[in-house]
Amino acid sequence: MNWKKAVSVLLVSAMTLSMAACGNNGTNTDSAVDSTESGSAAAGGEKLVVWTLSNDLIDFGERFQEQTGVQVETVVIEPANYPTKVQTALLGGETEPDIIVGEPKMLEDFYDAGFFEDLNQAPYNAQDYADQIVDYVWEVGQDSEGIQRAISYQITPAGIYYRRDIAKEVFGTDDPDEIGQLFKDYPTILQTAQTLKDAGYRIFSSDAEMNVFSGDSAWVVDGVLNVDQARYDFMDLCVDLYQGDLTAYASQWSTPWYQAMAGEVPILTADIQSSADDSVNVWDATEFAEATEGMEKTTVFAFGLPAWGVLTMRDNVGETSGLWGVCSGPSSGFDGGTYIGISSQSERKDVAWEFVKFCTLNEDTADWWIEFSQGDTVSLKSALEKHKDDENPIYGGEKLYEFWLKQAEGIDTSKVTRYDQGIGDAWGNAISAVKIGEKTKEEAVSEFYDVIESTYPEITVNRE
Amino acid sequence: MAKSAVTKKKKMKNYNNAGYFFVLPFVIVFLIFSIYPVFRTLYLSFTNFKGFGTPEPVGLQNYARVLTDKFFWRALWNTVRIWGVNIVLQLGLAFLLTIVFSDIKYKIRGLGIFRAIYFLPNLIAATSVSFLFKTLLDWRYGTFNQVLNAIYQFFGVSKEPIDWLGSGNYAGYVIAVISAWMWFGNSFIMLMAGVQGISKDYFEAAAIDGAGRWTVFGKITLPLLKPILLYVAITSLIGGLQMFDLPFLMADKASAAYNSVQTVVMYLYKFGFETGTTQVGYASAIAYVLFLIILAVSLIQMKVFNRKGD
Amino acid sequence: MSTFDKVKKAVLYVLLIVLAVICIIPFLLTLVNATRSGNEIVTSFTLIPSTYLKENWETVFEFFNLFKGMWNSIKVGVPATLLTAYFSAMTAYGLAMYKFRGNKALFMGIVIFMMIPGQLSLIGFYNLCTKLHLVNSYLPLIIPAIAAPGTVFFLRQYILSVLPPSLIEAARIDGASEIYSFHRIVLPIMSPGIATMSIMAFIGNWNNYLLPMIILNKNEKFTLPVMMATLKASTDIQRNQGAIYLAVAISIIPILLVFCFCSKYIISSISAGSVKE
Repeated sequence: MNWKKAVSVLLVSAMTLSMAACGNNGTNTDSAVDSTESGSAAAGGEKLVVWTLSNDLIDFGERFQEQTGVQVETVVIEPANYPTKVQTALLGGETEPDIIVGEPKMLEDFYDAGFFEDLNQAPYNAQDYADQIVDYVWEVGQDSEGIQRAISYQITPAGIYYRRDIAKEVFGTDDPDEIGQLFKDYPTILQTAQTLKDAGYRIFSSDAEMNVFSGDSAWVVDGVLNVDQARYDFMDLCVDLYQGDLTAYASQWSTPWYQAMAGEVPILTADIQSSADDSVNVWDATEFAEATEGMEKTTVFAFGLPAWGVLTMRDNVGETSGLWGVCSGPSSGFDGGTYIGISSQSERKDVAWEFVKFCTLNEDTADWWIEFSQGDTVSLKSALEKHKDDENPIYGGEKLYEFWLKQAEGIDTSKVTRYDQGIGDAWGNAISAVKIGEKTKEEAVSEFYDVIESTYPEITVNRE
Repeated sequence: MAKSAVTKKKKMKNYNNAGYFFVLPFVIVFLIFSIYPVFRTLYLSFTNFKGFGTPEPVGLQNYARVLTDKFFWRALWNTVRIWGVNIVLQLGLAFLLTIVFSDIKYKIRGLGIFRAIYFLPNLIAATSVSFLFKTLLDWRYGTFNQVLNAIYQFFGVSKEPIDWLGSGNYAGYVIAVISAWMWFGNSFIMLMAGVQGISKDYFEAAAIDGAGRWTVFGKITLPLLKPILLYVAITSLIGGLQMFDLPFLMADKASAAYNSVQTVVMYLYKFGFETGTTQVGYASAIAYVLFLIILAVSLIQMKVFNRKGD
Repeated sequence: MSTFDKVKKAVLYVLLIVLAVICIIPFLLTLVNATRSGNEIVTSFTLIPSTYLKENWETVFEFFNLFKGMWNSIKVGVPATLLTAYFSAMTAYGLAMYKFRGNKALFMGIVIFMMIPGQLSLIGFYNLCTKLHLVNSYLPLIIPAIAAPGTVFFLRQYILSVLPPSLIEAARIDGASEIYSFHRIVLPIMSPGIATMSIMAFIGNWNNYLLPMIILNKNEKFTLPVMMATLKASTDIQRNQGAIYLAVAISIIPILLVFCFCSKYIISSISAGSVKE
């Protein structure tokens, strides 16, 4: 019978595959997924379920399990789907996960939804720990009424990562303070970019590097859309960088963007001037074009990233290790950070609180994490103090923890609103449309206002 | 429901009642797992539910907002535009292939292999497809532009590379072509399955009568294919208006092209699930307005098909 | 056949082959790129494999065990496909061949349901699973496969075009029961259509992402697409495109195998010609 044949073929192929799968299971026992599962051997029988959106908490979980015997099950969910997943589970009345996390842009919605346990109440009394954590992180972890809901183990102030060798060659110095002056405001950045281009380099890999520094005030103030002058200046900067051929045209987080950290990256079009060769006369267009024919590569000078960019750089700098430095940008910004809290529906809140404290308020853990992550910046003040003289070899021995702490002090958390993601995306669209010439600035801004009006009926939009 | 004792006098009707047995499992599961969630969505569309907290009824407010939301209508236009280009390519190609392979004169061989190969693109998940094409079509670093550039240089032309996915002028069409690439094999298989469901007797008889290729096609193949064609057309429209995966995965949120490839379901998703814009009540209303539009279009389409058959 | 016809036939073959190449190239690229380093992939384009397969393999499997995910996908996909195939054929036959009360209404219900955008019933669906204590189980991914409106719709149309009612009536005169006729006469005749829809259903299940992502909470239960999505959370892998290509390649291979088997089956069953009686 034909039908049965089909079924049997399907089953046979399925079985063949499954056998292949089983055969290979044994050889891969050390995978991250397996190692978190294999904790069933732990004594005590206590258990903790953690839902997170980055891999960090896997390591925290393993260490917690080693030290306490509590079996920790860490589930990593893709950031884009994390809020959906948490919302559906908690609204469905699930008692697991015990630990949920959030990035600053998600936190306000999570607070309002009541997903996070109130940490100020007994037995937690989180307020007693307030002075141990860097101030801005503590504030981001509070809801609109000032109740502590979540704590992060890291601080994420933004800085500019630059190549010291190129700085010396082009600007005659690689001192972070002096290089910081080259990034002190948008017009200066444009000048810096032009100087670098003339020397055969590109200032940035993408034109989005200054995103972490954009804006002087919140997007929404008292229910009214607020587009300050700095936003327009930022738009102009992006457009000028792009149209002036000043970047390497990669998209942020794309592979070419990562590769620009390790050295030369290709540039495709023939009309782009690019040469690292000093002998070429860059002022004579014809001669320059002839000399650079076939040369389609350039080296990128700087990246704008938060403190966790240290980890990104660590994985990608390759042979340029030691040639980097970090300096401050045009303003104090921050981006991301994993904030850990307890699910209000958890049935293991005591253990969960131990875990939160273990991750954020334990100096021992902080020491371990600094070493284990090779340079992530913790939020525990005592640990930062202790490590302030640590020199990071990738950055030519620069003392990064001191630097990040200083940057963190300038952060103004009142700029954070629940609308940042949505409005930021819309503003990003407007910038893109202007920079590639699809719209004039007026058209793009007007469209931006339209988008905000139709997306958030509750926000008042005063058009200028 | 009619009792079998009453209806025993009519033998056919007795047989017909066996139909209940055949559809029962479907109906039970359908009611539980499909109908219930759908009605819950209907309920939510009349509330101001934000994804958390308690929903409060707001009457028809969400529906009024959909109808006056210019970005909803733009999303609808984007969807129709992308689908239109896609369906012409997809069904056109599938139909041409069906004609070629069912041709009694040429007797093209290798149907099995060709059909399998044409179906290949449909096997990959949209996530992989989008990843692949995003890489291939990257403005500066993609293979596609590298090849184009090489061709330009060969002819001595200097041209700026096109940002296929970043430009509002191209992104929609690029997605339509990729979508057609993914689905034409699928349509082809369905049409072919229909042709092969036609008894060979018809064709043999026609051959004996000396009927020409086009007579056979017009008098036998096409009429007998009609139900399958109707199916492929309707599902394609229904699927097309619900287009989501490809444009969602291929368009960069911050790119200028985003507004020109944002489909209705992407717009719905923005309010249904995305961080910072979650307004489930409004998303539900968008879902139902979209549903009404699809319903209307399908009814018209079915009418048209039926009339042509008569 | 005239020379002109022969030329036309040759041209047709060439066009068909060109189309085939367009369909295959992305697969080739995926397989080739799985053997190349991230750096090579960005800087040049080639169909010649490189030597980084081992490194890419290590990067991928350091992060997770893809075969485990594959096995999970099979555990969901195979039963779901069988349920869809069998019950859809059953429902389609019931709808096509029996004129009971409510038939038209049910058919309309199916057609209408196909028009509802799926994304939004998610929350309702999840609520339901919580109430039934089905979260983190494969059942909510398998049981609903019994009710697949799209498949039923296709098979109903299919029965109408391939199954002569006289065949069933003849069986009734011979004294066959309805269910016997369905299993012994209807299923064989429908098998090409069922096979086609089964392949679609299996692929759909294999590639399904959103629902498993919402329903499954434990790493050891993740299906392949859910597992693949966690790649995005790993910076180690992100920077190495070769590893991602390898993961994609591994995820495609089983489905290619299944398709090879089934597509052969379709051809043989069609040439056997089950309608001739």
